[in-house]
Amino acid sequence: MMSDVCKHCVNAPCLEVCPTGAIIRTEFDTVYIQEPTCNGCRDCITACPFGVIHVSAEKHIAQKCTLCYDRLQHGLVPACAQACPTQSIQFGPIAELKARAAMRVDALHSRGETEAYLYGADDSILGGLNAFYLLVDRPEAYGLPSKAQAQVPSRSVWPASIKAVATSLVAGLGAFLAFGRRKERVAASEREEATSS
Amino acid sequence: VNTEINSYVADPEWHGWIIWYFFLGGIAAGAYVTAALADLFGTSDDRRGVRVAYYIAFPLVGVCGLLLIADLGRPERFWHMLFQSNTGWPMFKWWSPMSVGSWGLSAFGMLSFASFLGVLAEDARFGLERFSPLAARMRIGWTGRLFALGGALSAFFLGSYTGVLLGATNQPFWSNTTWTGALFLASAFSTGVATILLINRGLRLAVTEDTLVHLERLDTWAMALELVLIAVFLLSLNKLAVAAVRQWPGVLVPAFVVPVGILAPLGLQHLKRARSAELACVLALAGGFALRAAVVGMPVPLLWSRHH
Repeated sequence: MMSDVCKHCVNAPCLEVCPTGAIIRTEFDTVYIQEPTCNGCRDCITACPFGVIHVSAEKHIAQKCTLCYDRLQHGLVPACAQACPTQSIQFGPIAELKARAAMRVDALHSRGETEAYLYGADDSILGGLNAFYLLVDRPEAYGLPSKAQAQVPSRSVWPASIKAVATSLVAGLGAFLAFGRRKERVAASEREEATSS
Repeated sequence: VNTEINSYVADPEWHGWIIWYFFLGGIAAGAYVTAALADLFGTSDDRRGVRVAYYIAFPLVGVCGLLLIADLGRPERFWHMLFQSNTGWPMFKWWSPMSVGSWGLSAFGMLSFASFLGVLAEDARFGLERFSPLAARMRIGWTGRLFALGGALSAFFLGSYTGVLLGATNQPFWSNTTWTGALFLASAFSTGVATILLINRGLRLAVTEDTLVHLERLDTWAMALELVLIAVFLLSLNKLAVAAVRQWPGVLVPAFVVPVGILAPLGLQHLKRARSAELACVLALAGGFALRAAVVGMPVPLLWSRHH
């Protein structure tokens, strides 16, 4: 069992690709979808490596965990953290949580649980996850992507664009060869067209 | 090459409308770019032979706009792609392919609309004949060359950005290659030329045999380029290539796109018969559609098996 909460990534893929500006970073460093702006294009769903964004069947826009933005604005903790009876879900200032989690990992290591580690607490996955986990197995065992499986979408834009430009040049060369341009023929035909128009 | 597959992502359900958009947008882009390049490099006969592209590009891109709007969860908010909903200022993120694509599609829409009006004026339709001198200036001389160059660039963009968009995700297969934009561009080019040829032959338009030969030569070039890029696309997927084409709809690439959509038209072109040439164009178009359906649908079986 684990919470499938939005990770509120430091380099959030959903925020990066959102074409309408509906996805923003809030004053609490969380990632939030502004409902009145989202038009349901679903680009954020293609980008989120954790699969936490879905389309609302009722509102037809993208929806995800907001980390209870309304509660945070009123000084309350997110409902999941407050309700969790085992206190598995902890909420607080990120630096404080990371320090506490590191101590917990050290304690587990000293008890012989050497597999314990923190997932997302450092900046190796998307610059860091603001919702991170203490795990004792590889991420995939928990339904979480590995570092290589969670990438910033814009990483591919320049390489893909350069390849498309190169292909355009090859296509243009094909047209040049196929139409067999000869300057004088073209000039003559242009003169002919100009006269007739 | 990242050969790690992320199967934890959700399915964006970019299916029917999006596949048709990619296909029809590709035809519009490919046909327009052919016409613009003929304006730049061809003779007056060639230009007359490709004019039909200016007739079809704008209506097709109009349909594309409607398809994209229909695919949105909230179609009435389509304008949020271009303008900030709260301030009305332009909305543009150069690092987001969908944002850049929205502006690129709009730019192509405007240029293709100008060309559409231009051919209507040249053909004295809808009382636009009084603008024919202006329309002629759009196609000849330095102004014509500049217009053709701008049009060709925007068409090249429209033909390729859709593939770049698929790469800028975390979806299985789409995000494992950076060649989809180049592949879609080659396919847009070949389907665009095929459409021009099909209309010219099918409607028996007054086009010289020389021009048809030039267009068929270009079509051969485009299909050869597409064939090479399919190979490069699959090689770039590395060890994932087998998984990509093993299941429906990815299997369409080896089972239909290559043999029926590319190799068969290349063979039919060599028969030098009008009927064979028309059939070659139809098959090339079917191959172009199948290619979009195969690539867009590639992640679906994996995500479906994981989530069900």
